[in-house]
Amino acid sequence: MTRSPVKVLYIDDEENNLIAFKASFRRQYEIYTANSAAEGLKVLENLPIEVIIADQKMPQTTGVEFFKSITTTFPDPVRILLTGYTDISALADAINHGDIYRYITKPWNDLELHNSIKNAHDAYRSKIDLRNKIKELEKTNDELNRFIYSISHELRAPLVSVIGIVNLVKMEGLYHSSGEYWELIESCSSKLDYYIQKTLQYYKNNKNVTDKSEIDFKHLVNEIIELYAYSNKDTTFNININQAQKFIGDSFRIEVILGNLISNAIKYQKTSNKEKTVEISIEVNKFSAEILIKDNGLGILNEHLEKIFTQFFKSKNNQGSGLGLFIVKEALNKINGKISVSSDLDYGTTFKITIPNAT
Amino acid sequence: MLIDDNTIDLKINSKIIGITKLFDDIILCQSGEEAIAYFLANEKDTEKLPHLILLDIQMPEMDGFEFLDNYKLLPEELKDNTRIAMLSSTLDFGDIRRAEANPYVIKLLKKPLYPAQLQAVFTTCFIVKE
Repeated sequence: MTRSPVKVLYIDDEENNLIAFKASFRRQYEIYTANSAAEGLKVLENLPIEVIIADQKMPQTTGVEFFKSITTTFPDPVRILLTGYTDISALADAINHGDIYRYITKPWNDLELHNSIKNAHDAYRSKIDLRNKIKELEKTNDELNRFIYSISHELRAPLVSVIGIVNLVKMEGLYHSSGEYWELIESCSSKLDYYIQKTLQYYKNNKNVTDKSEIDFKHLVNEIIELYAYSNKDTTFNININQAQKFIGDSFRIEVILGNLISNAIKYQKTSNKEKTVEISIEVNKFSAEILIKDNGLGILNEHLEKIFTQFFKSKNNQGSGLGLFIVKEALNKINGKISVSSDLDYGTTFKITIPNAT
Repeated sequence: MLIDDNTIDLKINSKIIGITKLFDDIILCQSGEEAIAYFLANEKDTEKLPHLILLDIQMPEMDGFEFLDNYKLLPEELKDNTRIAMLSSTLDFGDIRRAEANPYVIKLLKKPLYPAQLQAVFTTCFIVKE
Protein backbone atom coordinates (compact mmCIF):
# COMPACT_ATOMS: atom_id res chain seq x y z
CA MET A 1 0.00 0.00 0.00
CA THR A 2 1.48 3.35 -0.96
CA ARG A 3 0.33 6.17 1.17
CA SER A 4 1.23 9.74 0.44
CA PRO A 5 4.03 10.86 2.76
CA VAL A 6 3.12 12.39 6.09
CA LYS A 7 2.66 16.15 5.91
CA VAL A 8 4.75 17.77 8.60
CA LEU A 9 4.82 21.45 9.46
CA TYR A 10 7.87 22.67 11.36
CA ILE A 11 7.84 26.13 12.90
CA ASP A 12 11.04 27.63 14.21
CA ASP A 13 12.45 31.13 14.10
CA GLU A 14 15.98 29.82 13.58
CA GLU A 15 16.54 29.33 9.88
CA ASN A 16 19.38 26.84 10.54
CA ASN A 17 17.10 24.48 12.38
CA LEU A 18 14.61 24.55 9.56
CA ILE A 19 17.34 23.71 7.09
CA ALA A 20 18.74 20.95 9.28
CA PHE A 21 15.31 19.46 9.77
CA LYS A 22 14.62 19.45 6.07
CA ALA A 23 17.97 17.89 5.35
CA SER A 24 17.36 15.06 7.81
CA PHE A 25 13.78 14.23 7.01
CA ARG A 26 12.90 15.32 3.49
CA ARG A 27 13.15 11.75 2.21
CA GLN A 28 10.58 10.45 4.70
CA TYR A 29 8.11 13.28 4.95
CA GLU A 30 6.50 16.05 3.03
CA ILE A 31 7.95 18.97 4.92
CA TYR A 32 6.60 22.49 5.24
CA THR A 33 8.48 25.05 7.26
CA ALA A 34 7.62 28.42 8.72
CA ASN A 35 9.76 30.85 10.65
CA SER A 36 6.97 32.24 12.83
CA ALA A 37 3.59 31.26 14.28
CA ALA A 38 1.86 33.59 11.84
CA GLU A 39 3.58 31.95 8.87
CA GLY A 40 2.74 28.55 10.31
CA LEU A 41 -0.92 29.45 10.54
CA LYS A 42 -0.92 30.38 6.87
CA VAL A 43 0.39 26.94 5.97
CA LEU A 44 -2.19 25.27 8.21
CA GLU A 45 -4.99 27.17 6.57
CA ASN A 46 -3.99 26.00 3.12
CA LEU A 47 -2.76 22.45 3.58
CA PRO A 48 -4.00 19.33 5.36
CA ILE A 49 -1.09 19.17 7.80
CA GLU A 50 -0.96 16.02 9.92
CA VAL A 51 1.88 16.67 12.34
CA ILE A 52 3.03 20.06 13.67
CA ILE A 53 6.39 20.56 15.31
CA ALA A 54 6.91 23.94 16.92
CA ASP A 55 9.81 25.48 18.72
CA GLN A 56 8.86 26.84 22.11
CA LYS A 57 11.15 29.83 22.17
CA MET A 58 10.17 32.17 19.37
CA PRO A 59 9.76 35.95 19.35
CA GLN A 60 6.11 37.17 19.39
CA THR A 61 4.29 33.88 19.73
CA THR A 62 5.78 30.92 21.61
CA GLY A 63 5.17 27.33 20.55
CA VAL A 64 2.72 26.73 23.39
CA GLU A 65 0.84 29.95 22.67
CA PHE A 66 0.60 28.91 19.06
CA PHE A 67 -0.75 25.48 19.96
CA LYS A 68 -3.26 27.01 22.34
CA SER A 69 -4.46 29.40 19.64
CA ILE A 70 -5.28 26.57 17.23
CA THR A 71 -6.96 24.10 19.63
CA THR A 72 -10.40 24.85 18.27
CA THR A 73 -9.59 25.91 14.72
CA PHE A 74 -7.25 23.02 13.92
CA PRO A 75 -7.84 20.31 16.50
CA ASP A 76 -6.71 17.41 14.33
CA PRO A 77 -2.98 17.77 13.59
CA VAL A 78 -0.88 16.14 16.27
CA ARG A 79 1.51 18.51 18.08
CA ILE A 80 5.13 18.10 19.08
CA LEU A 81 6.89 20.77 21.10
CA LEU A 82 10.62 21.39 20.67
CA THR A 83 12.55 23.30 23.23
CA GLY A 84 16.09 23.94 24.26
CA TYR A 85 15.26 24.52 27.90
CA THR A 86 13.60 22.15 30.27
CA ASP A 87 11.18 24.74 31.49
CA ILE A 88 8.77 22.88 33.76
CA SER A 89 6.09 25.55 33.82
CA ALA A 90 6.08 25.85 30.02
CA LEU A 91 5.88 22.11 29.82
CA ALA A 92 2.96 21.89 32.23
CA ASP A 93 1.22 24.67 30.37
CA ALA A 94 1.79 22.92 27.08
CA ILE A 95 0.36 19.65 28.31
CA ASN A 96 -2.60 21.25 30.00
CA HIS A 97 -3.65 23.70 27.36
CA GLY A 98 -1.97 22.97 24.09
CA ASP A 99 -2.93 19.34 23.64
CA ILE A 100 0.72 18.37 23.08
CA TYR A 101 1.48 14.84 22.01
CA ARG A 102 5.28 14.81 22.58
CA TYR A 103 7.89 17.03 24.12
CA ILE A 104 11.36 16.91 22.60
CA THR A 105 14.50 18.68 23.77
CA LYS A 106 16.89 20.48 21.52
CA PRO A 107 19.21 19.59 20.00
CA TRP A 108 17.11 16.74 18.78
CA ASN A 109 18.25 13.24 18.14
CA ASP A 110 17.25 12.30 14.59
CA LEU A 111 16.04 8.83 15.51
CA GLU A 112 14.03 10.03 18.48
CA LEU A 113 12.40 12.78 16.47
CA HIS A 114 11.73 10.41 13.61
CA ASN A 115 10.02 7.95 15.95
CA SER A 116 8.02 10.72 17.53
CA ILE A 117 6.78 11.94 14.18
CA LYS A 118 5.89 8.39 13.21
CA ASN A 119 3.95 7.83 16.43
CA ALA A 120 2.32 11.22 16.16
CA HIS A 121 1.18 10.36 12.70
CA ASP A 122 -0.25 7.04 13.90
CA ALA A 123 -2.16 8.93 16.57
CA TYR A 124 -3.41 11.31 13.91
CA ARG A 125 -4.57 8.44 11.71
CA SER A 126 -6.40 6.64 14.46
CA LYS A 127 -8.12 9.86 15.49
CA ILE A 128 -9.30 10.42 11.92
CA ASP A 129 -10.20 6.75 11.40
CA LEU A 130 -12.26 6.74 14.55
CA ARG A 131 -14.09 9.84 13.46
CA ASN A 132 -14.83 8.32 10.06
CA LYS A 133 -16.08 5.15 11.69
CA ILE A 134 -18.40 7.13 13.92
CA LYS A 135 -19.70 9.02 10.92
CA GLU A 136 -20.27 5.77 9.09
CA LEU A 137 -22.10 4.30 12.07
CA GLU A 138 -24.26 7.37 12.43
CA LYS A 139 -25.16 7.08 8.78
CA THR A 140 -26.04 3.38 9.12
CA ASN A 141 -28.04 4.09 12.21
CA ASP A 142 -29.87 6.87 10.46
CA GLU A 143 -30.65 4.60 7.54
CA LEU A 144 -31.91 1.93 9.89
CA ASN A 145 -34.22 4.43 11.53
CA ARG A 146 -35.59 5.51 8.21
CA PHE A 147 -35.96 1.88 7.19
CA ILE A 148 -37.93 1.14 10.33
CA TYR A 149 -40.11 4.15 9.70
CA SER A 150 -40.77 3.13 6.12
CA ILE A 151 -41.62 -0.43 7.16
CA SER A 152 -44.11 0.94 9.61
CA HIS A 153 -45.77 2.93 6.84
CA GLU A 154 -45.10 1.64 3.36
CA LEU A 155 -45.15 -2.04 4.19
CA ARG A 156 -47.94 -2.00 6.68
CA ALA A 157 -50.35 0.47 5.09
CA PRO A 158 -51.43 -1.77 2.19
CA LEU A 159 -51.67 -4.74 4.52
CA VAL A 160 -53.95 -2.81 6.80
CA SER A 161 -56.06 -1.96 3.77
CA VAL A 162 -56.42 -5.66 3.06
CA ILE A 163 -57.51 -6.28 6.64
CA GLY A 164 -59.95 -3.38 6.28
CA ILE A 165 -61.43 -4.97 3.15
CA VAL A 166 -61.84 -8.30 4.92
CA ASN A 167 -63.64 -6.50 7.74
CA LEU A 168 -65.99 -4.92 5.19
CA VAL A 169 -66.62 -8.32 3.65
CA LYS A 170 -67.61 -9.50 7.11
CA MET A 171 -69.87 -6.54 7.75
CA GLU A 172 -71.59 -6.95 4.44
CA GLY A 173 -72.23 -10.62 5.18
CA LEU A 174 -70.03 -11.95 2.39
CA TYR A 175 -67.48 -13.65 4.63
CA HIS A 176 -68.76 -17.14 3.97
CA SER A 177 -69.60 -16.50 0.35
CA SER A 178 -66.47 -18.13 -1.04
CA GLY A 179 -65.95 -21.13 1.12
CA GLU A 180 -63.17 -20.52 3.57
CA TYR A 181 -61.11 -18.25 1.31
CA TRP A 182 -61.88 -15.03 3.17
CA GLU A 183 -61.01 -16.67 6.42
CA LEU A 184 -57.67 -17.78 5.00
CA ILE A 185 -56.92 -14.29 3.67
CA GLU A 186 -57.75 -12.88 7.06
CA SER A 187 -55.56 -15.27 8.97
CA CYS A 188 -52.62 -14.76 6.60
CA SER A 189 -52.86 -10.99 6.73
CA SER A 190 -53.13 -10.82 10.47
CA LYS A 191 -50.17 -13.15 10.82
CA LEU A 192 -48.13 -10.92 8.53
CA ASP A 193 -49.25 -7.85 10.42
CA TYR A 194 -48.25 -9.47 13.67
CA TYR A 195 -44.77 -10.19 12.32
CA ILE A 196 -44.33 -6.64 11.09
CA GLN A 197 -45.35 -5.28 14.46
CA LYS A 198 -43.03 -7.60 16.37
CA THR A 199 -40.12 -6.90 14.03
CA LEU A 200 -40.58 -3.19 14.56
CA GLN A 201 -40.78 -3.62 18.30
CA TYR A 202 -37.61 -5.65 18.23
CA TYR A 203 -35.62 -3.10 16.25
CA LYS A 204 -36.93 -0.14 18.18
CA ASN A 205 -36.02 -1.91 21.37
CA ASN A 206 -32.52 -2.52 20.07
CA LYS A 207 -31.82 1.15 19.82
CA ASN A 208 -30.28 2.40 22.98
CA VAL A 209 -32.31 5.54 23.40
CA THR A 210 -34.30 5.32 26.57
CA ASP A 211 -36.91 7.88 27.20
CA LYS A 212 -38.01 8.83 30.65
CA SER A 213 -41.60 9.87 30.99
CA GLU A 214 -44.28 9.64 33.59
CA ILE A 215 -46.37 6.51 33.37
CA ASP A 216 -49.95 6.12 34.47
CA PHE A 217 -50.35 2.36 34.68
CA LYS A 218 -54.12 2.43 34.93
CA HIS A 219 -54.39 4.37 31.72
CA LEU A 220 -51.79 2.23 29.97
CA VAL A 221 -53.34 -1.08 30.98
CA ASN A 222 -56.79 0.08 29.90
CA GLU A 223 -55.44 1.10 26.53
CA ILE A 224 -53.72 -2.22 26.03
CA ILE A 225 -56.81 -4.18 27.01
CA GLU A 226 -58.95 -2.12 24.69
CA LEU A 227 -56.52 -2.88 21.90
CA TYR A 228 -56.21 -6.63 22.41
CA ALA A 229 -59.61 -7.56 23.79
CA TYR A 230 -61.06 -6.87 20.34
CA SER A 231 -60.23 -10.36 19.24
CA ASN A 232 -61.58 -11.95 22.38
CA LYS A 233 -64.56 -10.33 23.98
CA ASP A 234 -65.40 -13.07 26.47
CA THR A 235 -62.40 -12.64 28.74
CA THR A 236 -62.93 -11.18 32.19
CA PHE A 237 -60.26 -8.82 33.46
CA ASN A 238 -59.55 -8.44 37.15
CA ILE A 239 -57.49 -5.33 37.39
CA ASN A 240 -55.98 -4.10 40.58
CA ILE A 241 -53.65 -1.16 40.17
CA ASN A 242 -52.25 0.60 43.15
CA GLN A 243 -50.32 3.63 42.06
CA ALA A 244 -50.00 6.31 44.69
CA GLN A 245 -46.47 7.12 43.60
CA LYS A 246 -45.28 8.87 40.53
CA PHE A 247 -43.61 6.42 38.16
CA ILE A 248 -40.96 7.47 35.67
CA GLY A 249 -39.81 5.01 33.07
CA ASP A 250 -39.36 4.17 29.44
CA SER A 251 -42.90 4.33 28.16
CA PHE A 252 -42.27 2.63 24.82
CA ARG A 253 -40.60 -0.41 26.36
CA ILE A 254 -43.06 -0.73 29.21
CA GLU A 255 -45.90 -0.61 26.72
CA VAL A 256 -44.20 -3.32 24.65
CA ILE A 257 -43.69 -5.51 27.72
CA LEU A 258 -47.22 -5.19 29.07
CA GLY A 259 -48.71 -5.38 25.57
CA ASN A 260 -47.02 -8.66 24.75
CA LEU A 261 -47.79 -10.28 28.10
CA ILE A 262 -51.40 -9.17 28.23
CA SER A 263 -52.08 -10.16 24.63
CA ASN A 264 -50.52 -13.57 25.34
CA ALA A 265 -52.73 -13.96 28.40
CA ILE A 266 -55.77 -13.23 26.26
CA LYS A 267 -54.65 -15.32 23.32
CA TYR A 268 -53.49 -18.56 24.89
CA GLN A 269 -56.77 -19.64 26.38
CA LYS A 270 -58.52 -22.93 26.28
CA THR A 271 -61.42 -22.75 23.87
CA SER A 272 -63.44 -24.89 26.24
CA ASN A 273 -62.93 -22.50 29.17
CA LYS A 274 -66.17 -20.73 30.05
CA GLU A 275 -64.61 -18.37 32.52
CA LYS A 276 -61.55 -16.96 30.85
CA THR A 277 -59.91 -14.60 33.27
CA VAL A 278 -56.84 -12.43 33.18
CA GLU A 279 -55.67 -10.91 36.40
CA ILE A 280 -53.46 -7.87 36.29
CA SER A 281 -52.15 -6.33 39.45
CA ILE A 282 -49.63 -3.55 39.66
CA GLU A 283 -48.10 -2.17 42.81
CA VAL A 284 -46.06 0.99 42.43
CA ASN A 285 -43.67 2.19 45.10
CA LYS A 286 -40.80 4.61 45.25
CA PHE A 287 -38.30 2.10 43.89
CA SER A 288 -40.18 -0.01 41.43
CA ALA A 289 -43.38 -1.22 39.87
CA GLU A 290 -44.25 -4.82 40.72
CA ILE A 291 -46.46 -6.26 38.05
CA LEU A 292 -48.31 -9.55 38.07
CA ILE A 293 -50.11 -10.91 35.06
CA LYS A 294 -51.97 -14.14 35.61
CA ASP A 295 -54.26 -16.11 33.34
CA ASN A 296 -56.20 -19.35 33.68
CA GLY A 297 -55.33 -20.44 30.18
CA LEU A 298 -53.36 -23.18 28.52
CA GLY A 299 -50.29 -22.97 30.70
CA ILE A 300 -46.77 -23.81 29.69
CA LEU A 301 -45.06 -27.18 29.85
CA ASN A 302 -42.50 -27.30 32.61
CA GLU A 303 -39.67 -28.23 30.28
CA HIS A 304 -40.55 -25.28 28.07
CA LEU A 305 -40.42 -22.68 30.81
CA GLU A 306 -36.71 -22.08 30.39
CA LYS A 307 -36.94 -21.68 26.66
CA ILE A 308 -39.89 -19.36 26.30
CA PHE A 309 -37.71 -16.26 26.36
CA THR A 310 -35.39 -17.41 23.58
CA GLN A 311 -35.80 -16.09 20.07
CA PHE A 312 -38.02 -18.12 17.75
CA PHE A 313 -38.94 -20.66 20.38
CA LYS A 314 -42.42 -21.94 19.61
CA SER A 315 -44.34 -24.73 21.17
CA LYS A 316 -46.12 -27.12 18.84
CA ASN A 317 -49.60 -26.43 20.10
CA ASN A 318 -49.53 -22.68 19.95
CA GLN A 319 -49.29 -20.58 16.87
CA GLY A 320 -46.91 -18.00 18.21
CA SER A 321 -44.17 -16.25 16.33
CA GLY A 322 -41.52 -17.06 18.87
CA LEU A 323 -40.87 -13.36 19.17
CA GLY A 324 -43.23 -11.92 21.77
CA LEU A 325 -41.61 -13.14 24.97
CA PHE A 326 -38.15 -12.77 23.49
CA ILE A 327 -38.90 -9.09 22.90
CA VAL A 328 -40.28 -8.78 26.43
CA LYS A 329 -37.05 -10.15 27.84
CA GLU A 330 -34.89 -7.92 25.62
CA ALA A 331 -36.89 -4.84 26.54
CA LEU A 332 -36.63 -5.68 30.24
CA ASN A 333 -32.87 -6.08 29.88
CA LYS A 334 -32.64 -2.58 28.48
CA ILE A 335 -34.46 -1.04 31.41
CA ASN A 336 -32.96 -3.25 34.14
CA GLY A 337 -36.21 -5.02 34.79
CA LYS A 338 -36.71 -8.59 35.99
CA ILE A 339 -39.19 -11.26 35.04
CA SER A 340 -40.12 -14.61 36.48
CA VAL A 341 -42.71 -17.09 35.37
CA SER A 342 -44.57 -19.97 36.89
CA SER A 343 -47.09 -22.12 35.14
CA ASP A 344 -49.23 -25.20 35.47
CA LEU A 345 -50.21 -26.91 32.29
CA ASP A 346 -53.97 -26.53 31.80
CA TYR A 347 -54.34 -24.19 34.78
CA GLY A 348 -52.65 -21.07 33.62
CA THR A 349 -49.55 -18.97 33.75
CA THR A 350 -48.30 -16.21 36.02
CA PHE A 351 -45.68 -13.65 35.05
CA LYS A 352 -44.10 -11.44 37.68
CA ILE A 353 -42.20 -8.38 36.58
CA THR A 354 -40.22 -5.77 38.42
CA ILE A 355 -39.40 -2.51 36.69
CA PRO A 356 -37.26 0.07 38.49
CA ASN A 357 -38.82 3.46 39.13
CA ALA A 358 -36.59 6.24 37.84
CA THR A 359 -38.02 9.02 39.97
CA MET B 1 -64.59 14.39 5.63
CA LEU B 2 -61.97 11.79 4.82
CA ILE B 3 -58.48 12.94 3.89
CA ASP B 4 -56.29 10.17 2.51
CA ASP B 5 -54.05 9.89 -0.51
CA ASN B 6 -54.82 6.21 -0.85
CA THR B 7 -57.96 5.72 -2.91
CA ILE B 8 -58.46 2.17 -1.68
CA ASP B 9 -58.49 3.34 1.92
CA LEU B 10 -60.85 6.17 0.99
CA LYS B 11 -63.21 3.59 -0.45
CA ILE B 12 -62.92 1.20 2.51
CA ASN B 13 -63.33 3.89 5.13
CA SER B 14 -66.23 5.60 3.44
CA LYS B 15 -68.00 2.23 3.36
CA ILE B 16 -67.31 1.78 7.07
CA ILE B 17 -68.66 5.25 7.75
CA GLY B 18 -71.69 4.35 5.70
CA ILE B 19 -72.27 1.22 7.73
CA THR B 20 -72.32 3.16 11.00
CA LYS B 21 -75.12 5.40 9.64
CA LEU B 22 -73.80 8.16 11.91
CA PHE B 23 -73.14 10.71 9.20
CA ASP B 24 -75.29 12.08 6.40
CA ASP B 25 -72.62 13.01 3.97
CA ILE B 26 -69.03 12.06 3.25
CA ILE B 27 -66.58 14.42 1.61
CA LEU B 28 -63.58 12.65 0.11
CA CYS B 29 -60.27 14.47 -0.27
CA GLN B 30 -57.18 12.89 -1.76
CA SER B 31 -54.82 15.42 -0.23
CA GLY B 32 -54.52 17.96 2.53
CA GLU B 33 -54.35 20.70 -0.09
CA GLU B 34 -57.70 19.61 -1.47
CA ALA B 35 -59.24 19.66 2.00
CA ILE B 36 -57.96 23.16 2.76
CA ALA B 37 -59.26 24.31 -0.63
CA TYR B 38 -62.65 22.82 0.23
CA PHE B 39 -62.79 24.83 3.46
CA LEU B 40 -61.88 28.04 1.66
CA ALA B 41 -64.34 27.40 -1.15
CA ASN B 42 -67.16 27.00 1.37
CA GLU B 43 -66.23 29.97 3.49
CA LYS B 44 -69.66 31.48 2.97
CA ASP B 45 -71.51 28.25 3.12
CA THR B 46 -70.52 26.82 6.51
CA GLU B 47 -73.34 24.29 6.30
CA LYS B 48 -71.18 22.37 3.86
CA LEU B 49 -68.24 22.11 6.23
CA PRO B 50 -67.62 18.73 7.85
CA HIS B 51 -68.34 17.95 11.50
CA LEU B 52 -65.62 15.38 11.66
CA ILE B 53 -62.41 14.99 9.72
CA LEU B 54 -60.60 11.68 9.57
CA LEU B 55 -57.07 12.59 8.65
CA ASP B 56 -54.38 10.26 7.37
CA ILE B 57 -50.80 10.96 8.50
CA GLN B 58 -48.59 9.70 5.70
CA MET B 59 -49.39 11.58 2.52
CA PRO B 60 -47.15 12.94 -0.22
CA GLU B 61 -46.42 16.70 -0.12
CA MET B 62 -48.73 17.92 2.64
CA ASP B 63 -48.79 15.21 5.29
CA GLY B 64 -51.30 14.99 8.13
CA PHE B 65 -49.30 17.19 10.47
CA GLU B 66 -48.70 19.81 7.79
CA PHE B 67 -52.41 19.80 7.11
CA LEU B 68 -52.97 20.57 10.78
CA ASP B 69 -50.52 23.47 10.58
CA ASN B 70 -52.44 24.90 7.64
CA TYR B 71 -55.78 24.16 9.22
CA LYS B 72 -54.71 26.17 12.25
CA LEU B 73 -54.45 29.26 10.05
CA LEU B 74 -58.06 29.01 8.85
CA PRO B 75 -60.47 31.57 10.30
CA GLU B 76 -61.97 30.41 13.62
CA GLU B 77 -65.57 30.49 12.41
CA LEU B 78 -64.78 27.83 9.81
CA LYS B 79 -63.39 25.48 12.42
CA ASP B 80 -66.07 25.95 15.07
CA ASN B 81 -68.09 22.87 14.26
CA THR B 82 -65.31 20.61 13.11
CA ARG B 83 -63.47 17.96 15.07
CA ILE B 84 -60.43 16.10 13.80
CA ALA B 85 -59.38 12.53 14.42
CA MET B 86 -56.27 11.12 12.85
CA LEU B 87 -56.57 7.81 11.10
CA SER B 88 -53.37 6.00 10.34
CA SER B 89 -51.65 2.65 10.21
CA THR B 90 -48.60 4.14 11.89
CA LEU B 91 -46.79 2.30 14.64
CA ASP B 92 -44.19 5.00 14.91
CA PHE B 93 -43.93 6.24 18.44
CA GLY B 94 -43.01 9.74 17.30
CA ASP B 95 -46.09 9.98 15.11
CA ILE B 96 -48.32 8.72 17.89
CA ARG B 97 -46.90 11.23 20.37
CA ARG B 98 -47.20 14.09 17.90
CA ALA B 99 -50.80 13.22 17.15
CA GLU B 100 -51.68 13.05 20.83
CA ALA B 101 -49.93 16.36 21.48
CA ASN B 102 -51.76 18.29 18.78
CA PRO B 103 -54.56 20.37 20.29
CA TYR B 104 -56.84 19.87 17.29
CA VAL B 105 -56.64 16.10 17.34
CA ILE B 106 -59.25 14.49 19.55
CA LYS B 107 -58.12 10.94 18.92
CA LEU B 108 -55.68 8.89 16.94
CA LEU B 109 -57.56 6.04 15.31
CA LYS B 110 -55.70 3.06 13.98
CA LYS B 111 -56.33 1.52 10.62
CA PRO B 112 -58.22 -0.67 9.94
CA LEU B 113 -61.13 1.44 11.11
CA TYR B 114 -63.90 -0.34 12.98
CA PRO B 115 -67.44 1.01 13.23
CA ALA B 116 -67.23 0.71 17.02
CA GLN B 117 -64.24 3.09 17.15
CA LEU B 118 -66.04 5.60 15.02
CA GLN B 119 -69.11 5.23 17.22
CA ALA B 120 -66.98 5.99 20.27
CA VAL B 121 -65.53 9.12 18.70
CA PHE B 122 -68.98 10.18 17.62
CA THR B 123 -70.33 9.76 21.13
CA THR B 124 -67.58 11.76 22.79
CA CYS B 125 -67.70 14.58 20.25
CA PHE B 126 -71.32 15.07 19.45
CA ILE B 127 -73.43 13.55 22.17
CA VAL B 128 -71.74 14.31 25.47
CA LYS B 129 -71.44 17.94 24.48
CA GLU B 130 -75.16 18.54 24.17
